[in-house]
Amino acid sequence: MTDRDGATTTDSASSSAANPLSRKLNKILETRLDNDKEMLESLKALSTFFNENSLRTRRNLRSDIERRSLSINEEFLQTFQGVKEQLDSVYADVKAMNDCCQDMTSRLKAAKEQTHDLISQTTKLHAESQKVQMKLQVADVFLDKFQLKPNEVKALRGNRDGSLSQEFFNSLNKVKTIHNDCKILLRTNQQTAGLEIMEAMALHQESAFERLYRWTQNECRTLTGDSPDISPMLCQSMEALQDRPVLFRYSLDEYGTARRTAVVRGLIDALTRGGPGGTPRPIELHSHDPLRYVGDMLAWLHQAAASEKEYVHSLLKKCAVTTEQVQDILGHITEGVCRPFKVRVEQVLVSEQDAVTLYKLNNLLKFYHNTIGQIVNKEASLLTTITEIQDLSHRMFFNSLNCHANKLLDKVELPPADLSTPAALSQTMQLLKDVLACHDASVVAIDDKKQDFKQILSCIVDPLVQMCSVSASRLNAIDMACYMINCIYIMQTTLSLYEFTDTRLEMLQAQVEAQLDTLVNEQAAMVLNRVGLAEAYKMVQAYQPKQGPLSSLQGMDAGTLKSAMMQFDSFLANPDALVLPQCSLILSARIRESIKKRSMELINESYRLLFDRIKNPANEYKEPQGIVPRTPDQVMKLLQY
Amino acid sequence: MAAGPYNYSYIFKYIIIGDMGVGKSCLLHQFTEKKFMADCPHTIGVEFGTRIIEVSGQKIKLQIWDTAGQERFRAVTRSYYRGAAGALMVYDITRRSTYNHLSSWLTDARNLTNPNTVIFLIGNKSDLEAQRDVTYEEAKQFADENGLMFLECSAKTGDNVEDAFLDTAKKIYQNIQDGSLDLNAAESGVQHKPATPRNPINTDQAPIDKGCAC
Repeated sequence: MTDRDGATTTDSASSSAANPLSRKLNKILETRLDNDKEMLESLKALSTFFNENSLRTRRNLRSDIERRSLSINEEFLQTFQGVKEQLDSVYADVKAMNDCCQDMTSRLKAAKEQTHDLISQTTKLHAESQKVQMKLQVADVFLDKFQLKPNEVKALRGNRDGSLSQEFFNSLNKVKTIHNDCKILLRTNQQTAGLEIMEAMALHQESAFERLYRWTQNECRTLTGDSPDISPMLCQSMEALQDRPVLFRYSLDEYGTARRTAVVRGLIDALTRGGPGGTPRPIELHSHDPLRYVGDMLAWLHQAAASEKEYVHSLLKKCAVTTEQVQDILGHITEGVCRPFKVRVEQVLVSEQDAVTLYKLNNLLKFYHNTIGQIVNKEASLLTTITEIQDLSHRMFFNSLNCHANKLLDKVELPPADLSTPAALSQTMQLLKDVLACHDASVVAIDDKKQDFKQILSCIVDPLVQMCSVSASRLNAIDMACYMINCIYIMQTTLSLYEFTDTRLEMLQAQVEAQLDTLVNEQAAMVLNRVGLAEAYKMVQAYQPKQGPLSSLQGMDAGTLKSAMMQFDSFLANPDALVLPQCSLILSARIRESIKKRSMELINESYRLLFDRIKNPANEYKEPQGIVPRTPDQVMKLLQY
Repeated sequence: MAAGPYNYSYIFKYIIIGDMGVGKSCLLHQFTEKKFMADCPHTIGVEFGTRIIEVSGQKIKLQIWDTAGQERFRAVTRSYYRGAAGALMVYDITRRSTYNHLSSWLTDARNLTNPNTVIFLIGNKSDLEAQRDVTYEEAKQFADENGLMFLECSAKTGDNVEDAFLDTAKKIYQNIQDGSLDLNAAESGVQHKPATPRNPINTDQAPIDKGCAC
């Protein structure tokens, strides 16, 4: 309808532009309906309800449209009302939410304020916990290092029966380590802990050592068998006990006492029971043979001492001990056998008379003193016992020798008619030989030997020489000289076979020389006497020139001298005819020769003196050549043949 | 201490006898030190050596007494025969006189030891073949006639030395196993150490916490 209206208006507008109506019309006419979408939409909408083009409808169109518009608006309003309500509810919701959020925020805020402390506290606690954790670890390590574990403490307490285990030693070692480590603690600022732990460990140690000592003591006590069964644990105990020197020593003493008992029993068994089935036979079965009896005992002791030394070494193989300590223990161990041994040997020595046996025993004891002295020390009673017995045997030996010597001097025999040596002398020489022979076979050091020799020789030779002198005292000088020479000769020949007799031989030789001089002089004097030259020789010796010429003296005239010289000449023809009868009794050919030679020299000297004097013109012998036809040298030659 | 609680289960006592200069001390030295002692001094009286050996899995300690051969020591050395489980009788194959004296040594050994003592004859110096004065066969016959064990050895080269000592120990051990050697008797020359200690301590709980202790 609008379009129609519009078209009419446009027609009129063009006709009257100045006219509002024409303008209106123009405007309508100018309207381009095709492009006016709004118009098209409106017309389209109008066509939906304007079905019937009637007056009434045309009249009512406006109201219809208004009414329609109204209803549309109402409808819009209604719809919008709904939307509004919806929005209101949304709004309310959002508001509620907002409130809620606000509330929450505030609550959160409050909560946050509240938890802030907690958190900081937690953080603090956490840090603290970490620290504590660390401390715990440190403490654990500390405890591990400085405290015993329960099982270790238990091990230290040992078993109820007092026996020990390997753990005991491990724990003991740990206690020791801890105790030592505490010294480091003391150097730090943990002194209290150090002291306390040290004290605790010391207590542990004390009780453990006590237990250990008791165990060791018991163990040692049982070691009384022939050879002790030393267990490794005992060695370990000894090692551990070294930290307690007193207990260590007591344990060793205990061991020594046990072994001492064992050694005594062993000796008594060997003495009285012997080996299995009696072989080897009991040592005492040989008590009638002093050397074997004493020798067997000493050898047994030597072997026992050597074995005991081994055992001590095996007991102490883990310990740092000195040789002296070992020797001390050995001294203790071998102490027990001293008495039974000493009693027996003393009995043997006291009842033995024979000097040779006594001397052999003395040497045997010396040998074993030396041998056993290499195992035990000087202070050991075994060694002092041997020394005592050895001294006793020494005394008994010299007693026996002195006895013999006294007997010699008690009953001095008269020398035999042939001036040979008395039986007592040869017996004594045999004794000396026997003694010195066993000395030769003995096993002692040279120095001892030398000392002994001196004493033995003075014990035997001096009284012997004395005896011979006494026995010879009733003889004349020549017999005495021969007899003494014979006696001493026997002694010399015996002594010269042995060492260390040089001084003694020299002394004897000096005595022989003295006797020899006597005999030489006697022999020469006898010859001169027999030929009648003795007187002349004496005068020549005493002659002084103031007495005047020699030939003028009485008995020195040419005639007397000549006859004497003739006798001398006949002596020269057979010098052996004029020999002292005793000289032929001299045992030694060498001495006999020596007497002959030296007496001949002496005779020759006398002759030479006479010869010189007679030849001397001052003595006024007219025919000296007739008196002394032979020169001294010629005489010498003759005397020598 | 690998083998049981003790170092050894038995102690055997030996004695070495024979003339002077046959090399007794050298044999002992060779056996205990595994060395030859070139200028060995004369033994004074008796000397002593030990070594632990093994026979049939048993550790045995040999306690060896080496005697002086010199006649002057004879009285002393005779005292050492008692209680020897083994006697090694030595002669020198290059010196017949030392062989000739064997019967006297054997008499001593038989008289002074117990009937179970194992006597082992050793012809020493087997390295000096050129100077041999006693044949192997002759000595072997002597040994057989007298029921002795026999070997020729050289203390210088060490040849057969171990065997002589070990064979003796084996024979002694065999005697123990046979029961012919009574261990309970004193001076049998053998001492037995129990395989387990009489005190029932700890052997079952050997080394346990080694290492843990710090």
